Amino acid sequence: MPHLEESSQPRLAAGCRWAGEGENRALLFPEGALRLQDTGRAILERCDGRRTFQQIVEELQTQYGVSDPAKIRDDVSAFLERLQQKRVVDF
Amino acid sequence: MLPAPLALIAEVTHRCPLHCVYCSNPLEMAAAQSELTTQDWCNVFQQASKLGILHLHLSGGEPLVREDLLELVDAAHKAGLYTNLITSGVGLTESRLNSLLKAGLDHVQLSFQDSLEANANWLAGTRAHALKVKIAPVIQQSGVAFTINIVVHRQNLDHLEELIALAESFQPQRLEIAHAQYYGWAFKNREALLPTQKQVADSLRIVAEAQKRLAGRIRIDAVVPDYYARYPKACMGGWGQRQVLVDPSGRALPCHAAGVIPGLQFENVRDQSLEWIWRESDSFQKFRGEQWMPEPCRSCDRRSQDFGGCRCQAFLITGDAVSTDPACSLAPGHSYIEEQLKRINSPTNSASSDTPQPGTAPEGFWIYRPQPR
Repeated sequence: MPHLEESSQPRLAAGCRWAGEGENRALLFPEGALRLQDTGRAILERCDGRRTFQQIVEELQTQYGVSDPAKIRDDVSAFLERLQQKRVVDF
Repeated sequence: MLPAPLALIAEVTHRCPLHCVYCSNPLEMAAAQSELTTQDWCNVFQQASKLGILHLHLSGGEPLVREDLLELVDAAHKAGLYTNLITSGVGLTESRLNSLLKAGLDHVQLSFQDSLEANANWLAGTRAHALKVKIAPVIQQSGVAFTINIVVHRQNLDHLEELIALAESFQPQRLEIAHAQYYGWAFKNREALLPTQKQVADSLRIVAEAQKRLAGRIRIDAVVPDYYARYPKACMGGWGQRQVLVDPSGRALPCHAAGVIPGLQFENVRDQSLEWIWRESDSFQKFRGEQWMPEPCRSCDRRSQDFGGCRCQAFLITGDAVSTDPACSLAPGHSYIEEQLKRINSPTNSASSDTPQPGTAPEGFWIYRPQPR
């Protein structure tokens, strides 16, 4: 199983793409769709294959101004690893 | 308010170069001349998108038989649908695939019948296996999202590990291992397809091991055999809840097999809008919700999880589409399922102890689906 490193550059896997606008914005992939709000969407919209995992975490820490930076790192990491197993995200 | 369906299954033709013995097409297939035109389908795709549908599954028969498939994919993509091609691979070439991808095809789902070529061809009623083995790497290398689909049953379950290894060698993102569902041609051939208890138990273990081993590389989705389950499957996520199927002649159905249920009038997309059919038509409302349910479903805690199971299976087995799916251990008709399994698992049952090999199987062992007129 691939491991998420600070330097990993997460990207949407083949066949995963955004559709719709506003509240209807959804991530589409084979046999499924995710309607994401807030943080989930903020994470995945940054998975562009250029930003590193570390950069994504830093941006979210800035955006959400959380008091516990380690927690946000762990949450993002768990979220991305789960979606990697579903083959929605690659890194 | 009734939500929009999630997916449209477009059976664009019932014509197919394969004759798979578990085919989900109805026994009475739509004739080639009755098929919707390119324009009809494009119109349906636009309506589907407006209705809020996200996914389009181009299915058949074999969609590649349609000479206008490229136009259909183009129209679906432009309408904003996520477009999936469900194919045997027969008729696919690198250049045709590239054109489809340029037109916006999102996902390809390729079927395999078995790991052993002779067996695979026997199950498909034609020599298709070698073509699949040839086209699979082409699909993989194109970079498109790629699923391999394998329908499993008594005649190939003993090769499940080899089947998974074959699929793995083509590096799809996704592998679907689906126990056969007994409708259409699979119901006709059920006697030779129903797996034994041991095969089912082994398959659950093999799939769980493969899921663990391949985690992060290949996502494995499994469909369990409902004859061996305690509770019925939540067929289609509930009647008229999540999906619409349009058959080659334009009839809109809640599922692949719904045409078997007598007394239901299925509307045609040539005459009615998809939205009206979804929201208002009698056929889509017939088993929607819980009002129609008899006991034991009506007072069962699971009714909102499995919706009383499958209406088509209830009809095929009990003759009454309103009855509880006999796959449910609580159903009055469950003894029928138990009898089938008892016979299949009996040590004296030649069908379970002596799997015929292709070439040695008696004439008429399979009922192969013909071509539609």
